[in-house]
Amino acid sequence: MKGAITTNFRGIRALVMHGDDVNRDTLVNVLGRLGLDVTVLAPDALPADSLPHCDVLLFDADENVLVPCPSSQGTDIPTIALIGHETPSRLARVLGRRCDSHILKPIRSMGVFTALILAVNGHRQRLRSERELDALRQRLSGRREVMKAVLRLMSLFGIDEDTAYERLRQEAMDRRVPIEDAARDWLGPLPAGGRIRERKRMSGKA
Amino acid sequence: MSRGTLKIGVMFSTTGSYAAVGAAMLAGAELAIEEVNADASAPVRLEPVFVDPAGVTAAYADGAVSLLRDHGIVHVFGCYTSSSRKEVLPVFEKHDALLWYPSHYEGFETSDNVIYNGASPNQHILPLARHLLSRHGDRGWCVGSNYVWAWENNRILREALMEVRGCVMGERYFPVGETDLSEIATQIVRDRPDFVFTTLIGESSYQFFRLLRAAAEEAGLDQAAEMPVASCSLSEAELPFIGAASAGHLSSSVYFSSIDSPENKRFTARWMARFGYLGHACADAEATYTAVHLLVRAIKRAGGTGFSAVREAARGLRFNAPQGLIMVDEENLHCAMRPRIGRSRADGTFDILFEERAPVRPDPYLVWSNSATVTQDDPRHGHHLRLAP
Repeated sequence: MKGAITTNFRGIRALVMHGDDVNRDTLVNVLGRLGLDVTVLAPDALPADSLPHCDVLLFDADENVLVPCPSSQGTDIPTIALIGHETPSRLARVLGRRCDSHILKPIRSMGVFTALILAVNGHRQRLRSERELDALRQRLSGRREVMKAVLRLMSLFGIDEDTAYERLRQEAMDRRVPIEDAARDWLGPLPAGGRIRERKRMSGKA
Repeated sequence: MSRGTLKIGVMFSTTGSYAAVGAAMLAGAELAIEEVNADASAPVRLEPVFVDPAGVTAAYADGAVSLLRDHGIVHVFGCYTSSSRKEVLPVFEKHDALLWYPSHYEGFETSDNVIYNGASPNQHILPLARHLLSRHGDRGWCVGSNYVWAWENNRILREALMEVRGCVMGERYFPVGETDLSEIATQIVRDRPDFVFTTLIGESSYQFFRLLRAAAEEAGLDQAAEMPVASCSLSEAELPFIGAASAGHLSSSVYFSSIDSPENKRFTARWMARFGYLGHACADAEATYTAVHLLVRAIKRAGGTGFSAVREAARGLRFNAPQGLIMVDEENLHCAMRPRIGRSRADGTFDILFEERAPVRPDPYLVWSNSATVTQDDPRHGHHLRLAP
């Protein structure tokens, strides 16, 4: 993995969703020592639709409350499950909630730091992978258009396949758009004088 | 010959929302302690120290600390709910003490600080699922108290129904202690499932039995016959609290007071004479009674009362309990026992409709028995679930 991992959590806002007991006390103390800004919320005091702003969520997986999924409000954040009961019905919820790591109860000071490191860095890696996956998906769906555009350029300008592809790639680079977008623009009905349109397009790049 | 006195902890909630069961468990412990103390051949005399956490989860940890640290006790009989057991576990680990946990539970735990002598999920919910599917149908309605016991049992039942392409017509959870259940009773009668599975506990459970029976009668339905309510926890201790609607409900348990054996006749006679006012003897009381006798046998075998020595001596220990022969599993410290299905009667006891031929090994993680449709004789079970010899 490229880049250093995050090991300092100073100033990071943690939301702890757990009832008032020794587990919560221990957790809040350790998080404080690690420099996090901690907000505590009892599971029964959960707001129906949105979570308070936070950078890391730690929630009690033993309670049967539906934690609003951060992605539903557009913010996918690192999530840590606090687990006491190792029953499949509970663990299915932990999976469904896409937890990046977990802490087993009874919570001790040891293990909290590890869970934070795994959650924060694992979450970042997951987001990066998802972005890469999106890019690949987009590329895949544009492949047909690129092929068609290459054929069109070949017949329009009487050039071979390699030259046509190179020309398309160069145009995309000049316009700073994905090659799939450049290709799509060649597939619409061309007005008379395709070259003029092409020039106009290229000069419009700003 | 003089024998030493061993202080033991007895921690059950005899007040609070599940007081009926707690009182029965305490009574089971007292009965066994009296027997041990009257027996000159027993290796120790038992001196109980009682704690009543009143059904408050946090109070269990305080109680455990007081017993283990202040009294220096090593062996404690206690807990009914899983949340209370989870609460005290760290205390037992810290103090090298052994919790004798005599209640059926949902499994998925094997602590080296606990002897589990209540039924594991393969001994209660799986036999019940098989019974319901073979006798009543594959469309069920699930109602439960909102905590891990209900969630996990419902998951297992749901998977069993899915496997035979049956369905869960509805699934609802209520806070522990909720008694406003008439709407759900009406809804269930309207849906007419083949059976209702309840994991409600305490007051909620008793009220639900009454309301469902009433709603069914109003709809001209013979609820007990056409739409039975089944549970893995309904016991003799609770039937008196249900009142007129107490008969005709199914329960899966390793013990019923109506078991016909010399050991049980002796046990129930002593129970009725001493604690008859609590109703007939129930599974949790029998298990607590049995746990005390298991401790004394383990002490005898170990030649001492220390934590590790007694735990190791308990592995593989056998006892002719009122329910029949049981054996502590060497691997997971749960017990091999015989699953039974009973149907409640108006007199506060159960008719036994089915019983396994021999004790079934405990399978707390459902490793060897995750399907309700697989019978005990299925070779796919492997050696782990063969009936214990």
